[in-house]
Amino acid sequence: MSQFLQVLLSGLATGSIYALVAIGFTLVWQAAQTVNFAQGEFVMVPAFFVLVGMHVLGFPLALAVGFALLASIVVLGFVFKKLIVEPILPSGGISLIIATMALGILLRESVKEFYGAEAQPFPPLFPTDPIHVFGAVVSMQDLLNLVISLGVVILLTLFLNRTRTGRSMQAAAQNPAVAEILGVDVKRMIMYAFLINAALAALASFLITPVYLAKFSNGETLGLVAFIAAIVGGFNQIRGALVGGLLIGVLDNFVATYITAEYRAALPLILLIVIILLRPQGIMGTSEGRAV
Amino acid sequence: MLELQDIHGGYGKMTILNGVSFKIPKGTITTVIGPNGAGKSTAFKAIFGLLNISKGQILLDGKDVTRQSPRQMIYHGVTYVPQGRNVVPQLSVYHNLELGGVTAKDQTKIRDRIEVVMDQFPMLREFRNRKAIELSGGQQKQLEVARSLLLDPKLILIDEPSIGLSPKLVQEVFGTLQRLRDQGVTILMVEQNAKSALAMSDYGLVLELGQTRMHDEATKLLADPRVGQLFLGGHIEDANSN
Repeated sequence: MSQFLQVLLSGLATGSIYALVAIGFTLVWQAAQTVNFAQGEFVMVPAFFVLVGMHVLGFPLALAVGFALLASIVVLGFVFKKLIVEPILPSGGISLIIATMALGILLRESVKEFYGAEAQPFPPLFPTDPIHVFGAVVSMQDLLNLVISLGVVILLTLFLNRTRTGRSMQAAAQNPAVAEILGVDVKRMIMYAFLINAALAALASFLITPVYLAKFSNGETLGLVAFIAAIVGGFNQIRGALVGGLLIGVLDNFVATYITAEYRAALPLILLIVIILLRPQGIMGTSEGRAV
Repeated sequence: MLELQDIHGGYGKMTILNGVSFKIPKGTITTVIGPNGAGKSTAFKAIFGLLNISKGQILLDGKDVTRQSPRQMIYHGVTYVPQGRNVVPQLSVYHNLELGGVTAKDQTKIRDRIEVVMDQFPMLREFRNRKAIELSGGQQKQLEVARSLLLDPKLILIDEPSIGLSPKLVQEVFGTLQRLRDQGVTILMVEQNAKSALAMSDYGLVLELGQTRMHDEATKLLADPRVGQLFLGGHIEDANSN
């Protein structure tokens, strides 16, 4: 029983980080009707911003994290939206998808070029001491990762549903033409979605890199798993992305512990195929399309 | 109140409006009629800042509002209800109404206005927590009209309010517009259902090929054989020559 709980909590912790990245996919989809295939790299890069803050600028860890968060919001949010999304989007979603693939490669190769191909140690943000929860031994880091990720998702949901700006973002996503005639600043709402996506990616990066270490190729797996999580949960729903992320994290842990670790990389893909065959709109998704 | 002077404009390089001119007085209902492609909806978009205007001027209470953005037009007291369904589908009826006042600086006043508007449309109060997409077509149109009232506008542009509605609901919507007119709101409406729209309007306006062909009191237009001719597929000039 204690092992079961241990595996469950650890899976939820990893899954909640996947969920943060998957929510970013849905936000960008809502805002620009496109898929950001550089999303994995958006999670990889902020960790290197932290390392630059610490090793190049000489900041202590907390300040380096603050610097990296800000840099991520500016570069992966504002600059990405202005320099890539805005000029290319009028040419169509497919063009933008290809552009994000190219951006992913550029980010990956740039980090490899400037920081090296070797995995870099990344300081944990929280103590890694084990603690006991109902007989299960769980690392404090896993537990805090879970609490912080779920807390951020709850805050984001409250922001979108309970504030005027959040509802304006929903209006801009669900019916931009109507939002415009009502006086909603649609461009600004779309920008907010990109900034939030960058912040979520940065947070995911800070939480997961202490486990994976900072490496230029981290985004490949993370991006793929989060993309699948978003589809499995329902691409047009934030709660869908949350469910998809948690499900993949938990299933991955259970399969690896109780069945075999050999095919764990294939598990998200199998889940994806099953969901597409049985419920193409995803577990929580709606077939009518756009909703934040 | 509202004056269009020789408005030319269109989408990209395609010109749709080729000299639309008219004046509408305050506290009246004016119905714009004309065959398909005459530029009726396009004229509304031009007024509301959703279209490139290449020539001409739009005056609102004597002030030049040509090429102002939709947001600026809202600040000037103009709201626009386009044709078709225009709700935010996954938001509740209440939050759709609230969006009608999104540009207001004082949001506490908007909450009060929502209560006033829901008094005018009791159905909306009943369904206030329902998602807008769950309302019927007629209810959605009522929601859109109600939403356009949130900022207490002085001019409402409403495009084809009767589309998709039962005759009973059309009469309800027309009744609402007449009530608003009686409260001093100016209404400019595009309507395919020309006869019943002119019957409840003060003035009528005929557009054809992006130009103003006729502009008169609604009762006179209703009695004018050229209007009937126009809607039977002819042109104003043909009718004149008969």
